[in-house]
Amino acid sequence: MNEDLKKTLLNPIFKGNPITVLVLGICSTVQLKGALVMALSVIIVTGLSSFVVSLLRNSIPNRVRIIVQLVVVAMMVILVDQVLRAYAYSIDKQLSVYIGLIITNCIVMGRIEAFALGNKPIPSLLDGLANGAGYGMILVIVAFFRELLGSGTLLGFRVLPASYVPNNLVILPPMALIILGCIVWVQRSIQKDLQEK
Amino acid sequence: MNTNSNVYTVVYTTIIVVIAAAILAIAAMALKPKQDANIKAETISQMLTAAGFSSKEDLAKLGNDQILKMYSDNIKTAFLIDAQGNKTGELETAVNDIELQDNLKVENKNIAAGDPSLPVYVFVKDGAEINVIPVYGAGLWGPIWGYIAFDADCAKIVGAYFDHESETPGLGAKIKDEAWFREQFQGKSVNYGNPERSFRIVKGGAPKDDNAAVDAITGATMTCNGLDAALNTWFRAYMPFLQKKAGAAATEVDDCCGGDCCSGDGECSDCNHEHNHNHQEG
Repeated sequence: MNEDLKKTLLNPIFKGNPITVLVLGICSTVQLKGALVMALSVIIVTGLSSFVVSLLRNSIPNRVRIIVQLVVVAMMVILVDQVLRAYAYSIDKQLSVYIGLIITNCIVMGRIEAFALGNKPIPSLLDGLANGAGYGMILVIVAFFRELLGSGTLLGFRVLPASYVPNNLVILPPMALIILGCIVWVQRSIQKDLQEK
Repeated sequence: MNTNSNVYTVVYTTIIVVIAAAILAIAAMALKPKQDANIKAETISQMLTAAGFSSKEDLAKLGNDQILKMYSDNIKTAFLIDAQGNKTGELETAVNDIELQDNLKVENKNIAAGDPSLPVYVFVKDGAEINVIPVYGAGLWGPIWGYIAFDADCAKIVGAYFDHESETPGLGAKIKDEAWFREQFQGKSVNYGNPERSFRIVKGGAPKDDNAAVDAITGATMTCNGLDAALNTWFRAYMPFLQKKAGAAATEVDDCCGGDCCSGDGECSDCNHEHNHNHQEG
């Protein structure tokens, strides 16, 4: 793999992570299993949408490009939702409207506008996949702590002893933002160049 | 080619939209049978959980086929009733073509209009009949529904299961997630004397002497109010049927113990036994 592609693939996962660095598309789940499926769904949607838009990029009329992008993204999201409903019904039920809301996730449109419109299909596919993965990684980390501390389980298996009293604060939405803040903090103390003066 | 001309833009967007629509239509058609099977198995597993055959967690590990088989093996009959509690039709229960009346949203409207077609699922567990009926209503964010299992003469609730579309996790979602909430319904009864308010979910704790009430969930007032309304609406709709069942059971016992069927010693002691049994639990 050449250096540029490698950079396209690896950069969004840590150094240019869409959530902690670009601060796009924050969204969260309480359960680790849901987070894994959500992450996978976003990876597929961002990857394939970027790929398709990149294929069309020279033919899309500039004035309606956002609408055309939206049609492509919405189609991918509905496909993912339909497939989950057929093959992973219980998880689809748990994620319910949030799968549909991937359409509104800024990472998808953001990467199409910023990258796929100006690059060839293969790099666009990698960029989409990598940004989805960067998002998914943060989502999984947040869900890991929320499920561990909020219910004492991981992927539904009891990890902490039964004597552990689940912390209800962790289940409530604000805690996801607090955990996210902690992740940004950790990342910025490792990568000093991200710190604003 | 000028990609910014009006004609190009209109033609281009039309083609894109038609292609996208075609792809989605094909995918939806291809996946529909599998999705319907999932929904059916999910509905059935909610009934089986309410009737006490298994738990939702255990059923989730089974395949759709096994859930359908469990349903078919344990059900005696399933039928539809009208607003007066009269039987209007049968539902197929054979494993390969199980019929359910599961469009509760439509029936909820029909109840309001006074012309519902309500399902009753009669299971047999340990020799005794269990009557399972659905309930449906509005929670805080979306629909909530569930299945209530009654004993053979509809005097007592033996189990319940609730589900929701989008209640708040950790608060309203507890109607589904918290086993203690569902388990409260076991042994409760519907107040036939007051059809308009036959069951209550009480904030701050149900009074100990009221057997037609359960505790509400802290922090989930709106969801509990919705469930309370759902239970009362649907119990009201089923009231003629439930009362008929309860009435028939009462006469049967009376007839038996006062009349001819008691000529044999064995049967008579059975009767007495049943009476005592009822008395103890009542």
